[in-house]
Amino acid sequence: MILPYLLRLSCLCFASFFVLNLAAGLLVRFFSKSAIRYTESKSPRSAARYLLALRLLPFALAALFVVALCVPSYLWLEPAAASERVGFLSIFLGILGAATWLISIARAIHSLVASWRHNRLCRLAGVDTHITGESSSLLVVESQAPLLAMSGLLRPRLLISRGVLQTLSSEELSAALLHEHAHRTSRDNAKRLLLLLAPDIFPFLRPLRALEHSWSKLAEWAADDEATSGDSNRAVSLAAALIQVARMGSAPRMPYLSTSLLACDRDLSTRIDRLLHPVSPARPVAKPVQHRLLTAGFLLAGSLTALLLTPSALSSVHQLLELLLH
Amino acid sequence: MIRFLKNRFSAGGNTSQSPTLGTLEFELMEILWSGGESTVRDVVQKLTRPLAYTTVMTTLDRLFKKGLLNRHKPDRAFVYSPQLSRQEWERHRAGDLVAGFLSGPHPSRELLLSCFLDAVGEHDASLLDELEKKVRTRRKELSRKVQP
Repeated sequence: MILPYLLRLSCLCFASFFVLNLAAGLLVRFFSKSAIRYTESKSPRSAARYLLALRLLPFALAALFVVALCVPSYLWLEPAAASERVGFLSIFLGILGAATWLISIARAIHSLVASWRHNRLCRLAGVDTHITGESSSLLVVESQAPLLAMSGLLRPRLLISRGVLQTLSSEELSAALLHEHAHRTSRDNAKRLLLLLAPDIFPFLRPLRALEHSWSKLAEWAADDEATSGDSNRAVSLAAALIQVARMGSAPRMPYLSTSLLACDRDLSTRIDRLLHPVSPARPVAKPVQHRLLTAGFLLAGSLTALLLTPSALSSVHQLLELLLH
Repeated sequence: MIRFLKNRFSAGGNTSQSPTLGTLEFELMEILWSGGESTVRDVVQKLTRPLAYTTVMTTLDRLFKKGLLNRHKPDRAFVYSPQLSRQEWERHRAGDLVAGFLSGPHPSRELLLSCFLDAVGEHDASLLDELEKKVRTRRKELSRKVQP
């Protein structure tokens, strides 16, 4: 099939993104169990960051390759006037790449809309309330449902039902609110959006879901740890709050872009045990994960810049792309 | 995406939704949930307000047709029993309300918010008791540590 210049570029970009995302994704999938086991020795916050970075790695690598190498090499080395025949495999891979992007974007938009609708409804039905000792206001919803959540992306709001407000003692409520504030500080809802935006390695298949579940669990644990900050009494209060809220029934279904006090019912027992008997990580973290990631990022950016400044490298990439194209 | 599409499709033509109940229907369901298997006469006797036998019979027949009741005829009269427990029915209804609330484009869905928030289930009570016991024990340990 003969395609014009820009359409060929789009096809190449999507095809190379798909191939790289698939290859890196399968590699990450292969090591995901070991990675999850590895994080058991780390603090929940570091472990959560590590798993999030691992989940986003295939997408980041593929996108970086396309933006930093594929596009420049094509624009510089491909004659603009030439119209070339494009192989069907290349078109097929391009369509798959575009499909993974479209699906992830549709998923993210759907979640954003659901979250926006939910927040709007809560604002309409709720009452802004200030409670003593709490810096920000709470949106109190007249209901007996076990609702205590941080919802929203840019300006997350604390949602609480009247039932929860009446059930929890002041210490329990304070600990539970600190837990939700920890989610806000670590921007967990924005991270959830990133997870949605990261394209799957194959349309409609999410083999990296195990990493996402583990990240979600660790984010809850990290929020628990940050809420208690090593204070045993507060940890007991938070554990008691979790039980009280659990006694009120299963948490209402919340939009994906929100964090709830009882996000995962199956994890409740483990969370209580962690709160009552906190265990420090088996091995002290020698270097914070973000520093390592930053270093890796700088190294990668440096290597890419060096590659971009080397004409032979771009030429090799262009030859590879030509191979893929035909 | 699949879930999204499923939701979209199911919002259009879902026939497995729990039927809604009128006041009398709900009253009769309450009697059957609390009393178990009953004939029309039994139900009439348990009603808090006087209602004609035929009214109750028609309503029970309607509930049977809605799939909420089972019935068999051991003798001359039908014996009705609920097909779902109250808890199961509430769970179905809550699920339907939540699904409708999330997918419905109508502005009136604000009215469903309270129903959505009341869509609750049950946790394992024994597990919660056990966890609460652990919390109490830990509290005692901590208070003992504080006391000299």
